[in-house]
Amino acid sequence: MLYDNKSSSSPCFDKDSGIRVAKRSSEGHCRTPAYIRGKIGVIERYCGNFPNPEQIAICHPKPDVIPLYRCRFYQKDIWPHYTGNDCDTLELEIFEHWLEPATF
Amino acid sequence: MHDEVLKMGPHDVGGEKYLQIDTEDHGMTYWEKFSNGLRIAVSAKKIITLDELRLTAEKFGDEYFQMEYFERNGKALTHACLNKKLLTDKELIAGKKRHKENFTIPIIELPDPKSIIHLHDGEPHTHSRDDFQEDEKGEGPPDYFLEMLTIADILTEKKLIKMEDIFLKIEQFDNQYPARGIDVVTRAWVDNSFRDFLINDAKNAIIDIGIKLESFADIICMPQSDKMHHLVVCTLCSCYPRALLGMPPSWYKSRSYRSRVVYEPRKVLEEFGTIIPDSVEVKVHDSNADMRYLILPQRPKGTEGWSESALSALISRDHLVGVRLPKNVI
Repeated sequence: MLYDNKSSSSPCFDKDSGIRVAKRSSEGHCRTPAYIRGKIGVIERYCGNFPNPEQIAICHPKPDVIPLYRCRFYQKDIWPHYTGNDCDTLELEIFEHWLEPATF
Repeated sequence: MHDEVLKMGPHDVGGEKYLQIDTEDHGMTYWEKFSNGLRIAVSAKKIITLDELRLTAEKFGDEYFQMEYFERNGKALTHACLNKKLLTDKELIAGKKRHKENFTIPIIELPDPKSIIHLHDGEPHTHSRDDFQEDEKGEGPPDYFLEMLTIADILTEKKLIKMEDIFLKIEQFDNQYPARGIDVVTRAWVDNSFRDFLINDAKNAIIDIGIKLESFADIICMPQSDKMHHLVVCTLCSCYPRALLGMPPSWYKSRSYRSRVVYEPRKVLEEFGTIIPDSVEVKVHDSNADMRYLILPQRPKGTEGWSESALSALISRDHLVGVRLPKNVI
């Protein structure tokens, strides 16, 4: 299912607040990689509002322009067998409709 | 929910176990450059969006990784043009046939082979005609390139794009874009206020020094330091700051780099010859949506007083993606 009912323009999440990426499947085109779904991290920054790529890909005449965030995760929280250092991190961009509030 | 269910398609490779990375860049053929120029001309005019082209490629399923990068992108463009009825199957077949003929090399009449007597091991000897070869590698262009030429013709006839748009993109990717990222970095090395501007607001800092960015995306600059090492990947496709660095190298687009660098960045860096001390945090940036990343290396030691032009000789593209570090001069 496509999440095409989000058109909020002001961001819901503050910098450094805890988030969990929704652990759900998707159909069609989507920019939320499987490996990060269900993982807990924090908001690194709000990037601005961008047209929803899930809608652009299916030629939606008026794609929602929605908040995009950069999110930071500890590598050890993504990969249970991570062999690097505990301090190593990964950052990526997640659209708001894929984020849920979370606490560590 | 089971993690396997979450995987979106063949393109969603982050975290896959995969092979060693071929860290050499193999460059691009002319037809790869043409196909890339066409794809960008078409998406820049919003005739077909990048997200539509990505979705089309993602639907190739198992065939996705059976095709190499430019073939996959080219075939996705063909599918999308057919779906949108920008061309018909009949036009495609006819166009490919016409272009194929342009690559048919006429047979040149050779002298009668039997009349040519020459010596092998001191013995007079003749050859049959089959032994004459005009061209050892006359394979011609790949099939998808004939499709790209056909699409370029038809979209030009429909006045949706101009051939010049494609040739301009080829020229910019070859000669303009790769130098820009290097100019930005050397400026940041010699000018601290520009460096601060770049780190705080990269897009405007870059525009401020007179570089006109064609990219719709925002740019973020991440400075390397003694405490943190940054590197960039796009696990879903090949997002890359093209307007600053040109086309991504072969390895950046490879399944091996895209799948592995997110979960074993230190090991991947070692394959590029880059050893990061344990005391330094490694931060991977998955460039998966609308931001593009420029990594700012530290200025090499021993270059005090050097000009920007002299400094630029120390920089390679790999430093600006974060897989290698420029060497100190002392």
